[in-house]
Amino acid sequence: MKIGFTLNGKNTFIDVDAARRVIDVLREDLEMTGTKEGCGTGECGACTILVNSESRLACLMVAAQLEGAEVTTIEGIERDGRLHPLQKAFVEHGAIQCGFCTPGMVMASIDLLSRNPEPTQAEIREGISGNLCRCTGYQKIVEAVAAAAAAKEKDGLP
Amino acid sequence: MKEPENGEIERAGYDIGKTAHRADAYAKVTGREKYAADYYDGEFLWAGVKRAGVPHAALTGIHAEDARALPGVIAVLTHHDIPGENRIGIIRKNQPVLADTRIRHSGEAVALVLAENRETLKDALNRITLDYEALPGVFSVEEALKETSPRIHEDNPEGNVVKAVAVETGDSAKAFNECDAVVEGVFEVPAQEHAYLETESGWAYQGEDGTYVIVASTQTPFRDCFEIAPVLGIDPAGIRVIAPYLGGAFGGKDGITVQCLLALAVLHSRGRPVKMWWDREESFLAGVKRLSAKMHYRLGAKNDGEFHALECRLYYDGGAYSPLGGEIMTLGAEHAGCAYRIPNVSIKGWCVYTNNPVGGPFRGFGVPQVTAAMEQMVDMAAQRLGIDPLAIRLKNAVRKGDRNCLGVTLTNSTGAVECLEKMSSHPLWKGRAAWKEEAGPFKVRGVGVACMAHAMGYPPMVADEARAKIELTVEGKIRVYAGVVDMGQGNASTYAQIAGYVLGQDASAMELVLPDTARTLPSGSSSASRTTYTYGNALIEAARSLEKAIIKAACERVPGSVAEGFLFLPGKVRHTPTGRELLLEELAAFMDDSARVTTGYFKMPVVREKLDAIYMGPHLIFSYGAHLVYVEVDELTGQVDVARYLAVTDAGRVINPQVFAQQIEGAVAQGMGYALTEDFKVRKGRIVTRDLSTYIIPTSMDIPAIDSVPVEIDEETGPFGLKGAGEIGMSGPLPAIANAVSDACGTRVFRAPMTGEAVYGALIRKKEEGTVL
Amino acid sequence: MTTVYRPGSLDEFWDMREKYGEALVFAGGTDLFVKLRALNKYPPVLIGLAGVKELQSIEELSGAVFIGAHATHTRLLSHPRIREHFPVLASALRSLGSPPIRNMGTIGGNICTASPAGDVLPPLYVLGAQVELRKKDGSRRVPIREFILGPGTTALTDGELLSGVWLKKEDSFTIHHFEKVGQRKALAIAVASLAALVTTTETGIVEKARFAWGSVGPTVVTSQDAEDALVGLPLGLKALQSIVPIVERSVSPIDDVRASAAYRKALAGNLVVRLAGRGREPLRA
Ligand SMILES: Cc1cc2nc3c(=O)[nH]c(=O)nc-3n(C[C@H](O)[C@H](O)[C@H](O)COP(=O)(O)OP(=O)(O)OC[C@H]3O[C@@H](n4cnc5c(N)ncnc54)[C@H](O)[C@@H]3O)c2cc1C
Ligand code: FES
Ligand code: FES
Repeated sequence: MKIGFTLNGKNTFIDVDAARRVIDVLREDLEMTGTKEGCGTGECGACTILVNSESRLACLMVAAQLEGAEVTTIEGIERDGRLHPLQKAFVEHGAIQCGFCTPGMVMASIDLLSRNPEPTQAEIREGISGNLCRCTGYQKIVEAVAAAAAAKEKDGLP
Repeated sequence: MKEPENGEIERAGYDIGKTAHRADAYAKVTGREKYAADYYDGEFLWAGVKRAGVPHAALTGIHAEDARALPGVIAVLTHHDIPGENRIGIIRKNQPVLADTRIRHSGEAVALVLAENRETLKDALNRITLDYEALPGVFSVEEALKETSPRIHEDNPEGNVVKAVAVETGDSAKAFNECDAVVEGVFEVPAQEHAYLETESGWAYQGEDGTYVIVASTQTPFRDCFEIAPVLGIDPAGIRVIAPYLGGAFGGKDGITVQCLLALAVLHSRGRPVKMWWDREESFLAGVKRLSAKMHYRLGAKNDGEFHALECRLYYDGGAYSPLGGEIMTLGAEHAGCAYRIPNVSIKGWCVYTNNPVGGPFRGFGVPQVTAAMEQMVDMAAQRLGIDPLAIRLKNAVRKGDRNCLGVTLTNSTGAVECLEKMSSHPLWKGRAAWKEEAGPFKVRGVGVACMAHAMGYPPMVADEARAKIELTVEGKIRVYAGVVDMGQGNASTYAQIAGYVLGQDASAMELVLPDTARTLPSGSSSASRTTYTYGNALIEAARSLEKAIIKAACERVPGSVAEGFLFLPGKVRHTPTGRELLLEELAAFMDDSARVTTGYFKMPVVREKLDAIYMGPHLIFSYGAHLVYVEVDELTGQVDVARYLAVTDAGRVINPQVFAQQIEGAVAQGMGYALTEDFKVRKGRIVTRDLSTYIIPTSMDIPAIDSVPVEIDEETGPFGLKGAGEIGMSGPLPAIANAVSDACGTRVFRAPMTGEAVYGALIRKKEEGTVL
Repeated sequence: MTTVYRPGSLDEFWDMREKYGEALVFAGGTDLFVKLRALNKYPPVLIGLAGVKELQSIEELSGAVFIGAHATHTRLLSHPRIREHFPVLASALRSLGSPPIRNMGTIGGNICTASPAGDVLPPLYVLGAQVELRKKDGSRRVPIREFILGPGTTALTDGELLSGVWLKKEDSFTIHHFEKVGQRKALAIAVASLAALVTTTETGIVEKARFAWGSVGPTVVTSQDAEDALVGLPLGLKALQSIVPIVERSVSPIDDVRASAAYRKALAGNLVVRLAGRGREPLRA
C-alpha cells in the first residue's frame, strides 16, 4: 500500500504492507531508530510518538493509519539544532540512565505539557504513567518535566 | 588509591564531587544513540530461536523440514550444526547452546532459524515441531533435595545440589542457650525478572579478516569471547565482541544471551549480517531471573539488645542451569547476618537445580534475599525485647575494626553506624509519629527501617582487576578506552570525569571508546558494584602516566622548563613562568604514537585472614545503607501505598552526585517492586507471568519521592575515596516495607511480594486469630 | 498481506463490510492489535473506524447524551458534559490504562471487547446506558446489560456496528463513586472494581442506590437485592457492612494470574463499605 504522511515536518511516502506495524516502519524501513520497542503490547510506552500532536503507541498502530497524518518522533523535536526544552531538562536533571525509555518518555511529556502547561508533581506522574522506566525510579524524570514546564513559563515559549 | 597528590598542578574542567552531565545523555535524549537492537544495515537476516515449551523432557526428534521449505528461510540449525562444544557455563559448563538430548526448562533453545524477514522467521519457528518424552519435573527446592526426585543433571555428583556452603563461627548451639530472647521466622522471596526495557539483542557478521564480530547487549564482552569460541570450535582471538550502551541489564546480561546463537547463525548467513532481538515474551521465557529463596532464621539476643547467636538455613532455587547460582547463594550466605556483629553464627546454604527458569545475577546478587529475612528478624527481636528498631540496629551494627559474622575484621571504611545516625537526625525519622496519626478512614500507617551491607567486587578467588587505557589523540582529545560496560549506570561518563579531572580537561576534550574486545583492554564485568571502583583506580594510574608523558613532551617544547611549571587547561597546557601555551593537539604531533597511549592496572585488595571462611573466600570492603519508609495500608483492600522513602548510603566519597543519586533511586524503585508487586510466577515449570501486563513493575505513580543522602566516608583504597553504589540500594526496600507494614497492621507478611491480597489475607488472619506478632 | 480500509462515513463502511465479510473492525486498536499479535494471525482485511464521521460526536439531545462509539477515553475525560453529568464514568476513565492508551482507546472498543474488567462498563451499568447498534438498513437500542452476554461476547450480530452509547442525565444522584483495585496505580487491569450511584436525604438516609462490580464475574455484576437492602438506612459503616453478605452472594469471581476468587469476593463487599467514608458529600470527579 502506498502511504503518504508528514514525518518530522517532511513529506514522506512509503510503500509497505498496510498492516505493518508503525514501529517497524519507523525503525526498520525508515531507519529512525530513536523510537524504541520494549514490549509490542502497549505496556511500556517506549514506542511513544506523536500523531497529530497527541501521543500514540507505534507498536499498536498499523501503517495505513499514517495516511495523511502528521507524525513526530524523537528525531524531530529539536529546533535549529537546539534541544527541545524537555530534552534539555532531561539532560540537566539526570533523567537519563540507560536511556531506552527516554525517547518515549520525552514524547509523552510533550503531550502532557501541551494539555497541561503547569502540571503538579502528581499530574506529571500521571502524565508519564504509561511509560515504564526500569532504571531511574522516575524521580529525576519528574524533576526534569517540572523544570521544563517552569522554564517554558519563564521564557514565555509556546 | 588516594587522590593523586600532585597539588602543584592546578586543574580546570571536571571536578570530583560535582555533578557533570552524563556524556551519553545528549545522544540518548535525541534518539541518536545506537543500541545493539538498533542495527538494520545492509542485507541483513533475522535469526530466532525455537524454544522447548516443556519444562523437562528427553528430546528425541526435531522436525524442521516444513520450516526449511518455507521461501525466505535461509537455514534451520540444530545441535547437529554446532561445530565445537555444545556446552556453555561460567563455573559449571553444562548448558547446551541448542538442546541435544534433554530439555530442562520451558525456555530451552532447541533450533535456530535464519530468515529474510521477521514474518517469515515467526512462520518458520511455528512450523518446527519436536518429539520428546516428557519427564517428571522438579519445581521446588524441597522436591529438588529429595533423594527420590529426578536428577536434572545426571552427571552432577551432588544430585540436584548446585552448591552447598556452611559458615560456623563461635558456638551457636551453646550461644542460643545464653540468649534472653530468641526469635524465629521462615521467609520467602520470589523470583524476580529484570525487565530491562531493552530486551536481549545483538547483531553479528564476519569481518573481512575472518573474525566473527558480535555487537551485543552484554555486560561481559571479554568473558563472552571465551564462551563463544569453543562453541564454534575456534580460538577466542577469532571472536570480537562489542558492547554499546545497554538499554538496562541489572545482571541479566551478565553472560550469554544471544551471543553464541548469533555466532552460529553467521556461520550459515552466506556473508550477510544477522540480527537477533528477543521479544518481551521470549526475554521473560529465556532470560535469567533473580533466584527465589526460602530462608529459615533464628536470632538470639541478650536483654540489652545485643545479638548473640544467629542460625540461618538458606535455600535458593537456581533453576535448570546455574551460570552463577552457587555463587549467588554463597554471597547471600556471606551476608546472612547483614551489617551486624554476631559472635556465634551457623549459616548453611543450598542452591539447587529445578526445572524452573534459569537463575542468574540480578542487582544485589544473592544479598536482597537474606537482607529481606535478617532485617525483619531484627525488628522481631526489637519488638520482643521492647527496644526501638533503630536503637537495636545502632547497638549491633559493625564498626571499623569489628569482626563481621564470618569473623573477618573490617579494616576498611565501615559506615553502617554513620548511616543509621544520619537517619536518626533526619526529619522523616523525627516526624514519623505525627505522620502516623493522620491516617484517613480505613487506612493505617506504619514506618519501617532496614540496614544493609553489600560487598564490593569479586570474592578473593577471582582476581578483581582492570586494565585502563587512555590516549591523547592526534586531534588533541583525551580518549578513554572504557573496558567495563555501561549498562545504563553511567560509569563511562564517570570514567570521562575521572580522566578529565586528572588531566584538567572538560567534557569537550574527552572521547569515550565503549567496550570492544578488539580495542579496549579486559577489565572484567559490569557487575558486583565494582565498575567504577576497579576501573576507576586503573584509570587514575593511566591518566597520571599520560599526564607525565604530556608534560615531558611539553618540557621538550619549552626550553629550560621543568615539569612543575606546567598547568593543564582544557585543550592545552600552560607554562606558567612564561605564560606560553601549548595546544594538546600540537603536543600530540610531537609525541611518539606509543607515548600518546598509556595504561593503568588495578587489582582490588582482598582479605588475608579467614580465606577459608566460605567458598571462594570472604570479601573485605562493603558499602552500607540505612533506609526508612512510610507506608499506608488500606484495610479494605490490603493495598500498600509507599508514601515517603529515605535512603542513606555509605558508598564512600561521591564523584558525581547526580549519577550517585540515580543509582540509589533506581535501586530503591526496583526494591519496591520486589517488595510489593513483582512475582515471577511459574506453575509446573511453565511461566504464568509471561509479559509486562501480568508481571507488574512499578509505574511513575507507584514510586514516591525518594530522598537519597550519602554519608561520605573516605574509602582509602577507592578512586577519590569511592566505593560501589550500584547494588546497596536494592536490598533495603523489601525489609523496610515489610517492617512498616507490620508496624501498621500489627501482623507480618512472611512471603514477598506484599501484594494487596497478601496483606489483606494477613489482616484477616490476625482478626480471626487475634494474634499479634 | 492484509488490506486496511479506512472509510470516511457509515455509507462507505457498509459497502466495505458487504464486500469483505471476513474483515475485522478496529477503533483504537489497543485491544485488537494486542490480540492479533498474540495469535500471530492477521485477517485479510481490517477496517478502521477512526474516519467514520458518524461515530465521533458527543452531543446532548433532550435530557440525554449521545457518545459516538469512536470517542476516545481522553476526549471523554476532557468533555464538560461527561465530567458534569457522569462523574462516575469520568472517574473510571481516569483509571483506565495510561495516557497513550486513553488517547487511542475508544468507548466503543471497550464495550465491544466485553471484558469483565472493562473499566467503562460498571459506570455504564449504573447509569443505565443504552447502546445503539446499526446495520446497513436500520438501527436498534439495547440496554448495556442485554448487550454484554459473557466474557468477550456481545449481542452484536453479523454486519452490525456499535454506533454509540446513550446516557440519560443522572443529576439526581448525590454520590458518584468509582473505585478500581488493581495491582498498581496505573496500567492496571481491575482485580475488582465498583461503580456506585447513591442518593441520600438531607439527613443521610439512602433513597436510592445502584451498584455495579467489575472483574468479579463473567460480566459486570449488579445486585438489586443489595441496592434494595440499603434503601431507608443511614449511609454509614453499619448499614454498608450489613449488605456485604448480599454482595458476596451476588458475585462469582474466578482465580487468575492477578488474584484469587476469594480475594475478589472480599473486595466486592469491602468496596461498598468504602462509601462510609464518603459521608453525604457529593463526589464530583
Ligand atoms: C497497555 C494496555 C492497558 C489497558 N488498560 C486497560 C484498563 O485499565 N482498563 C480497560 O478497561 N481496558 C484496558 N485496556 C484495553 C483497551 O485499551 C480498552 O478496552 C479500549 O477501550 C479498547 O478500545 P479500542 O478502541 O482500542 O478497541 P479496539 O482494539 O479497536 O477494538 C476492540 C474490539 O472491539 C471491536 N470494536 C471496536 N469498535 C467497534 C464498534 N464501533 N462496533 C463494533 N465493534 C467494535 C473490535 O472489532 C475489537 O474486536 C488496556 C489495553 C492495553 C494495551
Ligand atoms: S513497545 Fe509499544 S508500548 Fe511497549
Ligand atoms: S533510563 Fe533505563 S529504562 Fe528509563
